[in-house]
Amino acid sequence: MSRIGVFICHCGENISRTVDVERVAAQVGTLPGVAFSTDYKYMCSDPGQGLLKKAIQEQRLSHVVVAACSPRMHEKTFRKAVESAGLNPFLCEMANIREHCSWVHEDREEATQKAIEIVGMMVERVKKNRVLPTITVPVTKRSLVIGGGIAGIQAALDIADCGHEVVLVEREPSIGGHMAQLSETFPTLDCSQCIMTPKMVDVANHPKIKLYTYAEIEHVEGYIGNFQVTVRKKARSVDEDKCTGCGVCMTKCPQKKIPNTFDRNLGMRPAIYVPFPQAVPNTPVIDRENCTKFKTGKCGVCQKVCGPGAVDYEQEDQLIVEPVGAIVVATGFDLYSIEEKPKGSPIKGYGEFGHGKIPDVIDGMTFERLASASGPTGGKILRPSDGREPKQIVFIQCVGSRAREKGISYCSKICCMYTAKHTMLYHHKVHDGQAYVFFMDARTPGKSYDEFWRRSIEEEEAVYIRGMVSRLYQKGDKIVVMGSDIAVGVQVEIEADMVVLATAVQPQKGADTLAQKLGISYDKYHFYSEAHAKLRPVECATAGIYLAGACQGPKDIPDTVSQASAAAAKVMTLFAKDKLEREPIVAKVREAGCVGCFYCRKVCPYGAVEEKEIRDRQGNLIKVVAYVNPGVCGGCGTCQATCPSKSVELDGYTDEQIVAMIESL
Amino acid sequence: MTPKKTLNYAYYPGCSLHASAGEYDLSTRELFKKLNIGLTEVPDWFCCGATPAHNVDELLSLSLCAKNLELAEQVEGDLAVACAACFSRLKTTQHVLSESDVKRRQVEKAIDAPVPLTGNVKHLLDILARDLGLEQLEQAVTKPLAGLKVACYYGCLLTRPTDVPNLDCVEAPTIMEDILKAAGAETVAWSHRMECCGANFTLSRPGVVIQLSHAILDSAKEAGADCIMVACPLCHGNLDIRQKEIEGVYNTEYAMPVFYITQLVGLATGLGADKLGLDALIVNPMPLLKEKQLL
Repeated sequence: MSRIGVFICHCGENISRTVDVERVAAQVGTLPGVAFSTDYKYMCSDPGQGLLKKAIQEQRLSHVVVAACSPRMHEKTFRKAVESAGLNPFLCEMANIREHCSWVHEDREEATQKAIEIVGMMVERVKKNRVLPTITVPVTKRSLVIGGGIAGIQAALDIADCGHEVVLVEREPSIGGHMAQLSETFPTLDCSQCIMTPKMVDVANHPKIKLYTYAEIEHVEGYIGNFQVTVRKKARSVDEDKCTGCGVCMTKCPQKKIPNTFDRNLGMRPAIYVPFPQAVPNTPVIDRENCTKFKTGKCGVCQKVCGPGAVDYEQEDQLIVEPVGAIVVATGFDLYSIEEKPKGSPIKGYGEFGHGKIPDVIDGMTFERLASASGPTGGKILRPSDGREPKQIVFIQCVGSRAREKGISYCSKICCMYTAKHTMLYHHKVHDGQAYVFFMDARTPGKSYDEFWRRSIEEEEAVYIRGMVSRLYQKGDKIVVMGSDIAVGVQVEIEADMVVLATAVQPQKGADTLAQKLGISYDKYHFYSEAHAKLRPVECATAGIYLAGACQGPKDIPDTVSQASAAAAKVMTLFAKDKLEREPIVAKVREAGCVGCFYCRKVCPYGAVEEKEIRDRQGNLIKVVAYVNPGVCGGCGTCQATCPSKSVELDGYTDEQIVAMIESL
Repeated sequence: MTPKKTLNYAYYPGCSLHASAGEYDLSTRELFKKLNIGLTEVPDWFCCGATPAHNVDELLSLSLCAKNLELAEQVEGDLAVACAACFSRLKTTQHVLSESDVKRRQVEKAIDAPVPLTGNVKHLLDILARDLGLEQLEQAVTKPLAGLKVACYYGCLLTRPTDVPNLDCVEAPTIMEDILKAAGAETVAWSHRMECCGANFTLSRPGVVIQLSHAILDSAKEAGADCIMVACPLCHGNLDIRQKEIEGVYNTEYAMPVFYITQLVGLATGLGADKLGLDALIVNPMPLLKEKQLL
């Protein structure tokens, strides 16, 4: 006979505002099998959990139902409490009367009725719960880091410094990411390259870091502690072991007119190239789409001039399988462009700013390249159209960001600060120039940030105009900026030589595809979702996968580095144990009923189904049945739904339990 | 060769086309006759409320348009609208009422009839460029407007409000240019295609209109246009009727004819000046048309 305890939570007023919790407790208390029922203001608090533990011991409870929020929120909390009171944690279930009831209903009577039914269902269900033993699995103490920007570099170095091997995979031919493109960094104006490149070299020299550049994630299998990751190492056409990085191939390449994407297309590069002089590794790559040899078969100059004979036109993509126990995703960001978007796209371009067709209207990253000492102009601020120095420059903030009508409603967080920095860099380089900034709000929360912003106005003579720009158009060699100054309430028109747009931060292209490979979730903009916005900010809901940097949301360098170190710490926590405990919610095959059709194997997304031979005492084979490897099973239940002979059941979600729930209604 | 479609529309001219913009009405009817597109005027239509109504009373403005939409149901075919303001108001009404049940019920009570929300409201530009199609239009051109440099002027209302499903890209439309290219004309790239002309401030704050319309005329001239083309009677009034006055205030000379789209496309299909109401234009277009040998 069950002795079930039911605990109804008020959740402050979140539940009790619409649900009469006392009535629910009283009503549920009369159900057969319920030995105890009560309500409490905050069941998850220490006194709340204490109440639960005391009741288990005093009332000799056999099962527990906590009626509160979503199990996603507190199932772990309550199962832990139940366990510490001496019950098996899987004899505790949660009834969700917050998200599924109080939050979505207004009528108190109806909501109370529904809450009683929800709790009643869980009471029937928990009666059928079985004791489940915890499963332990081994942990591969190696980690994969995806993305070699500052986030990936920091995470990789921290994990490797702890003595664990790291596989670092970068899509571009060099690590460094966007930070390598920046000129100087706020709020201290130290040179980005000077603080970045030593870290890049540390990565290259670290004995515990295995670096794959010009490589992408092809395929991911497995689960926390035991992932199998297939990396596609794209054909570089240059043998990394033979190449000395002398650079002769690049100087001799006859094709020199390819826009340099690292320089935001301001300069040109050859077909065999390293993205920038400080690249790590300093091994060139052949851009096969633009290489004359690959296009026409004629040329081959780079191979002829290469002393060590490193150039290899026959090289092919390689697929390498790496076993790892944890994955840090640090794929970073991309910038929104004002160009015309395809029809039906949820994100729109800026026709009123000329859809990106006015040459001297550039974005912030392009300005970074202009201001960078190693950039295409050697650090001089010059107009892309005619190479003249702009004497009137207009910066426009929130281009794409906080622009619901363009399809992006979030704040990109970094633009207020980098625009303030841009006005300073401009003032330092063009002494007789004037910078104007159109802004909505100046958002400067951060150590020394507001002081920095004020300095751009008070000492560096930037004129800040509160208001947005309605239009930009070319007039002769000037760009007319039409905006409003809402502080004064007048229309403003500025004839500018150059306009710099602080365009929105977006996730990297292909972020959604990678997320699907990894099995992690993302929001409507394709930023990756953390497990809990406040309390689990670097973990994914998928166990064993962690987030670092702007792939999770717009972030500046200090925040990115902090998050990367936090993700590394999480990986190290995982690696601190030799065996990993995991939830025993796994599928089990009823061998007597299994006919060996193996439909379950076809549908299993985890590859957990194996073959098992059933023999009689003499050793004669009777039949082959399915066996679910509990270490690999993800507990999704797809096999249970598929099995034609109803011979697979998921522990904790058996048909018996589900039917009992339905019958209670 | 694609078979010729039979196109028939209910026609809502709007007040201006029965008054100051009579030439727009005349040229629309003649052009559509020439192109074999049927137009049947909505019986007993009345004012859409234009700009003033929705500034004063939302229910009134929605009800005026709703009643007209209801009247238009009597005539078969989508509703063809010539005036940019009528177009914007009728579309907006449909949009607002389909989004809000509360407002729809209020309006239905006011007009004592259900509001048709699914009927298509189409501007002439849409009919020419998409229903008839640029290819068909090109085939109907007998006298291409070769050598005529036109500044296509959209004004504010053709593509607005932005949240209402509309004619073309809100900020960078091309539909007028597409039509004129099919008619053989040359279109200029200019900066003030989408700027406001001052609209109905023409009576209450003429100074504002003179300033804004001056910027438009200036920009068209600077871009090398011979003339301006519009699809809105109010824009036409400000740019054409007030042009002499603007020239006086700014001590300059434009002599820039301002045509309705139906007049230019009409010319290209071989219609004569009398059928297009060219004599009603204040800035005399004849010298230009003669110079370009288009008459």
